[in-house]
Amino acid sequence: MLLFRSEENVSAWCRERSLPRQPLVTLDQLWHLALTWYENRLTVESRRPAASEMVSIFASIGLTGPFWDPNADAWASTG
Amino acid sequence: MDLDDTVKLEIYGRLALSGTAPTATDVAHALALAPDEVTAAFARLHQRRLLVPEPGDPSRIRMAPPFSGVETPFRVQAGGTTYFANCVWDALGIPAALHRDAAVDARDGHTGEPMRLEVKHGAAVPTPCVIHFAVPAARWWTDIVYT
Repeated sequence: MLLFRSEENVSAWCRERSLPRQPLVTLDQLWHLALTWYENRLTVESRRPAASEMVSIFASIGLTGPFWDPNADAWASTG
Repeated sequence: MDLDDTVKLEIYGRLALSGTAPTATDVAHALALAPDEVTAAFARLHQRRLLVPEPGDPSRIRMAPPFSGVETPFRVQAGGTTYFANCVWDALGIPAALHRDAAVDARDGHTGEPMRLEVKHGAAVPTPCVIHFAVPAARWWTDIVYT
């Protein structure tokens, strides 16, 4: 995932690569994800969230739909 | 604590302290283990998605998320130490893991314009920016280096 100054820059980046523009994430949403994934990473208990947990975490900050589902068949079948 | 967790803590402890990823030989020396045992632990930690060995050299670490084992365009300064992150998510993940304020120096993905993000007092400082995930969650680990 990449950082951009503006939505216009995202669109230009996608256009240059003939890639679809995917949902955008705000800095606040990303900070929430960073905390959820990593705030106990230096401890013995740390682990990556399970797929079902990931769906809940994403949904809690408004990121929903198959793009944010690690088990989404529509993506996995071509991945 | 089992061997894998011991190796994991050694890796992450060293990364947090210095910003540099240890090799299997470094970890083996620190823990009085055989390098092959540590390399096998690296592989199991990879299966748990806590580590990515260097392609072509399973005794070296490419990623121990959020830390990168190699220099990247996402440079993080925290507590007087320089770290490298694998992506912008991980760039914020480093201050989250360290529980420290940090400054992230990166570039706009399209224009290359230098951009700085900051974490102060346990929160990201509001900065005009957006983050674009080009790869859906179901494919993140298909090619995690690209993701």
